[in-house]
Amino acid sequence: MDASETVKKIRFTLNGRPVSATVESHVDLVDLLRRFDLGGARESCGQGLCGCCTVVVDGVAMSGCLTLAQLVDGKRVDTIEGLDQTGALSPVQQAFIDEGAFQCGFCTPGFVLMTHQLLERNPDPSEPEIRDYLAGNLCRCAAYPEIIRAVKSAASRMRASAAA
Amino acid sequence: MRGFELVHPGSLADAIGLLDTDDDTVRPFSGGTALMLMMKTGVFRPSRLVHLGRIGDAYSEITASPAGGLRIGAMATLSALEHSPEVIRVAPVVARAMTRLANVRVRNVACVGGNLAHGDPHMDLPPVLAALGGSVSVAGPQGTRDVAVEKLFSGYYETVLGRGELITDVVLPSQRGWSSAYLKCTTRSADDWPALGVAVSLRIEGGAISEARVVVSAATEILTRLTTAESALTGAAADESTFARACEAAAAEAEMVEDARGSADYKTQLLRVYLRRALTQAVQDGAVS
Ligand SMILES: Cc1cc2nc3c(=O)[nH]c(=O)nc-3n(C[C@H](O)[C@H](O)[C@H](O)COP(=O)(O)OP(=O)(O)OC[C@H]3O[C@@H](n4cnc5c(N)ncnc54)[C@H](O)[C@@H]3O)c2cc1C
Ligand code: FES
Ligand code: FES
Repeated sequence: MDASETVKKIRFTLNGRPVSATVESHVDLVDLLRRFDLGGARESCGQGLCGCCTVVVDGVAMSGCLTLAQLVDGKRVDTIEGLDQTGALSPVQQAFIDEGAFQCGFCTPGFVLMTHQLLERNPDPSEPEIRDYLAGNLCRCAAYPEIIRAVKSAASRMRASAAA
Repeated sequence: MRGFELVHPGSLADAIGLLDTDDDTVRPFSGGTALMLMMKTGVFRPSRLVHLGRIGDAYSEITASPAGGLRIGAMATLSALEHSPEVIRVAPVVARAMTRLANVRVRNVACVGGNLAHGDPHMDLPPVLAALGGSVSVAGPQGTRDVAVEKLFSGYYETVLGRGELITDVVLPSQRGWSSAYLKCTTRSADDWPALGVAVSLRIEGGAISEARVVVSAATEILTRLTTAESALTGAAADESTFARACEAAAAEAEMVEDARGSADYKTQLLRVYLRRALTQAVQDGAVS
């Protein structure tokens, strides 16, 4: 590798599709996704605190604002836009709508992705477990009571369909 | 942020080679959560970042020793610590501390080595590891050495790590028979940096404390062992009156720093209260078997 390169061509899987991009070293993952016209991960605090920029890399949730774009080279990147590719909303998305778990919606992609992460690891979380897991997601509209109801509702729907 | 080189050495030796320079714009990069904040605010403008993610899987392993200790690779994430069955069994206080550290996404990427090397006295892991008697293995151009976690920090955001040196592992001695607890107090919001952190580890035999480690962080410039408080505990019964004496000794000994989270006097009072709670909790939680 030429040690003097700051620009690099990377290849990764974006919501199931192989893609490539030429990126400067200082670009973060939120800006990289913007180049693919994906606006679901959006920067708000820019400091890892709020979760608006949540992206799932190789199955692990991280803050896009704290992730260098070049580091997703060779990895699988999943965003909120990948959840309804079959044409149907995910059970978590549907539960957020049914419970009215948002007002402006700015924080919603992050909450939805983190809820999927939680329910994959813990299909029947208690309310304290939900609060702990989502403590790093902030909602300026303070839709927290509805969000917690939506997580519980999504959990029971997903358990029911897993049992069916 | 401006352009820099992001390089991915494939071995520890290559990483050390790339870092063996006097140029302080060249730095190791593990999870990047601390560095990204410093780069975004312009506090740090790198020319080259040496990403440690590909130096080898061995550096992210967590293994329990037959003697009752632990070896934690520096590239293990904080989430790996939180969920590791070995950590939960051998050093449950470490796993518990993770649940109040940052948030899931930060813990998913931040690494043990980066956490220790950052040198921020407000962080949670260093005081806990120091109270458990932990040390770090360090590798550099001159070879390897061990440094006790309590001796790792030389100042505010400063460590004793030299040119080209990397933390490769954290080693915990046997925890059998030790009872430990860590408490932090945040004064402005639940997720604020703490005004005070206090970690304790006690060996209790027949109701008496045979050995004690007491570490204060966040309120002091660097994490500090409170040796007069430890002396007040050692050889005494593990009861309220001993704890009260130890708290007074700690309050007299610790050099508190005033900042936006409280005055020095206020933090001294916090130390009295939180040290007593931590000691009580350690006794309640019981010893590691
Ligand atoms: C939103 C947010 C909230 C946070 N809340 C908390 C909290 O509640 N409690 C807490 O304790 N911390 C908290 N932190 C801090 C967090 O714990 C640190 O940022 C993290 O642990 C640093 O690890 P890293 O791997 O990301 O380090 P990096 O950013 O990669 O590196 C940090 C420093 O260590 C050096 N370095 C990295 N690896 C090594 C190595 N192996 N050997 C030598 N030097 C190395 C780097 O050059 C750099 O100087 C928070 C951070 C964020 C972003
Ligand atoms: S914008 Fe990334 S966590 Fe807030
Ligand atoms: S719905 Fe507006 S920020 Fe959460």
